[in-house]
Parts: sequence; C-alpha cells; structure tokens
Amino acid sequence: MIIYKAKYFLRETANNLWQYKTRHFFSLTIICLSFLIVGLFLAISNNLRDRADDLSKNLVIVFYLQKSLPAAEQDLIEQQVRHSPLVASVRAISPAQASEKFLQDFPGLKDILMNLQTNPFPASIEATLKDPRTPYEETLRFITEMKKNAGVEDVQFNRDWADKIQSLSRLAQAVGFFLGGILILASFIIISNVIKLNVFARQSEIEILRLVGGTNTFIRIPFLLEGISLGMAGSFLSLLLLLVITKIFPVYLGTSLGALQELISFRYLSFSQVISMIAGGGFVGFLGSLSSLSRFLRI
Amino acid sequence: MIELYHVWKQYQKPGWALSDVTLTVKKGEFCFITGPSGSGKSTLLKTMYREVIPTEGQIIIGGKNILKIPAHKIYLLRRNMGIVYQDFRLLFHRRVFDNVAVALQVVGAPMKDMKRKVFIALRMVNLHPRIWDYPSHLSYGEQQRLAIARAVVNNPRILLADEPTGNLDPKLAVEIIGLFKEINKQGTTVIICTHDKELIRQFGDRILHLHEGKLLRKDAA
Repeated sequence: MIIYKAKYFLRETANNLWQYKTRHFFSLTIICLSFLIVGLFLAISNNLRDRADDLSKNLVIVFYLQKSLPAAEQDLIEQQVRHSPLVASVRAISPAQASEKFLQDFPGLKDILMNLQTNPFPASIEATLKDPRTPYEETLRFITEMKKNAGVEDVQFNRDWADKIQSLSRLAQAVGFFLGGILILASFIIISNVIKLNVFARQSEIEILRLVGGTNTFIRIPFLLEGISLGMAGSFLSLLLLLVITKIFPVYLGTSLGALQELISFRYLSFSQVISMIAGGGFVGFLGSLSSLSRFLRI
Repeated sequence: MIELYHVWKQYQKPGWALSDVTLTVKKGEFCFITGPSGSGKSTLLKTMYREVIPTEGQIIIGGKNILKIPAHKIYLLRRNMGIVYQDFRLLFHRRVFDNVAVALQVVGAPMKDMKRKVFIALRMVNLHPRIWDYPSHLSYGEQQRLAIARAVVNNPRILLADEPTGNLDPKLAVEIIGLFKEINKQGTTVIICTHDKELIRQFGDRILHLHEGKLLRKDAA
C-alpha cells in the first residue's frame, strides 16, 4: 500500500509541477540564484582556505640580509638560524640566485630587471620550520631575537600570509552565508507563496479528497513534495551553474593574471558541501510549504 | 444505522437551520429528505458526514457517535460513505477514470485493483465507454452519473445525495434515481435530498419532510 501511495504522491507532484510550470519556473530561478550566491562564496572560501593550508604546511621564515654584509657575518647569522630548535633546514640564497628565481617565476618582467643597472635582490636565508604547529608566539620570539642582529634587514614569515588568507576565507564564508541567508529567506517566502497559490488553485480538488476520505497527511504530502522538489531542483541547478563558473572563470581570467592565476583558480565544492546544498534546498522547500500549508490548508 | 437525536444547528442568530431533529434511518433503507429551499435539507445531510457540526444533539452512525470522532479521524467515517452533490464536484482537468479513482487512491488501492473497481463502477452508470474522456466533454447527465460512480466505487455502506437531480431534465432525473435504487438493492443505505415531488411520488419508500429546520413528518408511503 505504501508503494502505491508513494507512486501516487510522486505522480501527483509531477503533474502539479507541470500544471503550474510558469509559476514554478520563476520560483526555481530565484531559488537557484540564491543558492548560487552561497555556492560561489563557499567556493571562494574553500579556495582561500586551501591556499592558507598549503602555506601552513610549509612554514618558511626568510631573513633578508643587508647588502653590504660581509660573508663572515652572513655565515654567523646562518649558523645562528641553524642552531635554533625550531628550524628544520636552512638555505642561503645569494642575490644572483634570488634574481634567477624571480625570472623563473615572472618571465614577463625580465626586461624590467635587465634595465636595472644593479641586482636589486638582497641575499637571504630561508629557514624551514620543523613543525607547522609550532606556537606562533614561539616563532615570533625567534624572529624578534634574529631581528636584533644588525645584519638582518627584514624578515618575512609566510605564516602571516597564511593567517591573512585564512581570515579572508572566513570573511568570504561569512559574507556568503549572510547574503545567501537573506536570499534563501527570500526563497523560503517564494516557495511558501507558490504553495499558497497552488493550495488556492486546487481548493476544489482538496475538498473532494477530503470528502472521499483522504487523510490530512495524504492531502498535504503532494504539496510538501512540491516545495521540496522546487528547493532541491533550485539548489541542484545552482550547483550546475557553479560548476560552469568554476570551469570558465579561471580560463577567462587566466591569461591576464599571470602568477596570481593559481590563487584564484576555483576548486569546486566538496562532496559533503554539494550534498548539504541540495539537502538545504530541500529543507528550505519543506519549511516553505509547511508554513503555507499550516496557514492555508486547514482540513 | 443512522440515528439523530435532538439535532439543532444555528449558523447565525436568531434563526435555526435545524430544530430538534430526531430520526432513524435503518440499514439498507432508501429514504428521501424533502422540503422547500432553505428548509435545512443540505444542512441535515452535511451533519451526517460531519461537514457541519450541530450546535446541539447527537448523531450515531454504525453505533458510533460521530461528533466524538477526533477531526483527524473523520476520514474513517467518510470512507464508509459515498456523497453525491448537486454541482457534481468533479475534477475537470482529470479524466473520467481519475475522477472515479480518486476515492480509491486515498485508501492506497493497488493500480490493478483500482482499474477493475473503476471499470465496474463506470459500467454500472453506463459510462465505461467514456473512461478516457474529460468531464467537460460529458453531458450534464453523464457528469452526474460520473459523480455517482465516484461515490459508489468504494462500495460504501451509506450513500448520501444532495439534490442529485437538481440540474437534470425529468427523464434524466428518473434515470439517476433509478441508479440509486439499483445501488440500494445491493444493500447500501441511500438518503437523497430533493424537492422534486414527482420523483418522490415515483420512488419514495420513506420520505422525511423538513420545514424551516423542523422535521414535520417522519414517514410517508
């Protein structure tokens, strides 16, 4: 009996969705756009978090040395860095090596570098940390200690970048959830209103079902399924659109961004995020229809 | 089978739609409720399937006080009843088959069983050749017969009809009441509201007269 009823509900839902297709098309568009906003910001946030994680896995402190520093003093600083218990390995980079690396990373800027009369890059010492989970304060103490050395002109620690990117990722997520939240609320209201219109349009049918012995649940289920289908279809379409965007956007921007391309090449949402988006759509649809049914379908 | 005790119904003060109606309809009876427009015929019928709740009184159907059935269980009462309306109340965007099948769908009947029962009900009202038509393609008489088929498809114990011949010409009206008679012969209790005196004269086994909500004469041959 359950199977026959389930078949009936699915058939009814499909018929009803088709019967009021224009109304459903417009609501579907708005639901889709709302979920697309959430998806987009989620993808941006994912991407930034990935970058931050990559950086965190390979924490490097770069000590830039004064240009006129004698070799002996350079060696001294290198020894000092090497003896720190936080450091796993040390690599000394000469100005020539730095220039070479720059040309490898940014071949387009070769002319600018060649036009300069001198090599602008200072010598540096790159220290890779033993444990990426080393407390930030401890690392900071080591950097401060090293900065006291007159030969060290500047220090760059990529953890700063990692932290900045992490907070940017969190910001993107928060903005996404805020904007998406407002738009999803709009979707909820739209679904609720569409179901209300459907209830009014099918008043005589509801009346007949009631009089031939249809239960409350029996009468309500097709409406609930309509809401759930709209929500799920809307979020599913938004995921398809997002997939298109993540494939096209980096290609479109790639040529003009050079080295930054890697930073903004979107990774698609994770499987759990995709499932959550679709389930979220269904849930919004369910709530939208339920709110409408409880107000307008009194049996 | 159907017992009403001192049933009163007031929609708006000061008038009463039903005033102290007490009556009993036995199992398998064929009964007319008659009276002028506004006499309370429809209200009386509606109280029997609890579309209208009386202001006072008790209604016992099949030994159960239907006024004590919780709202969410009313469907159990209605599944034992077939109801025919003057305005047919058909689903005009659904085919003849679906219009009848709706009464079986609510009980979760399997498709095979449903097809068989729908066909039997339509054959009884001689509408089986029109099974895949839409109600809008049927004549008034055919639409009414379709409404009857929907009412009887579940083999209800009670069949209630509110002015089922109100929109029909006399010949068709006789045909429809003849159908109700056939259904009654199979053991279904039939109660028909009508003010058509000719029909009552022709078919009336038992007649209940209502006037301004009061039951004037309980029985008449």
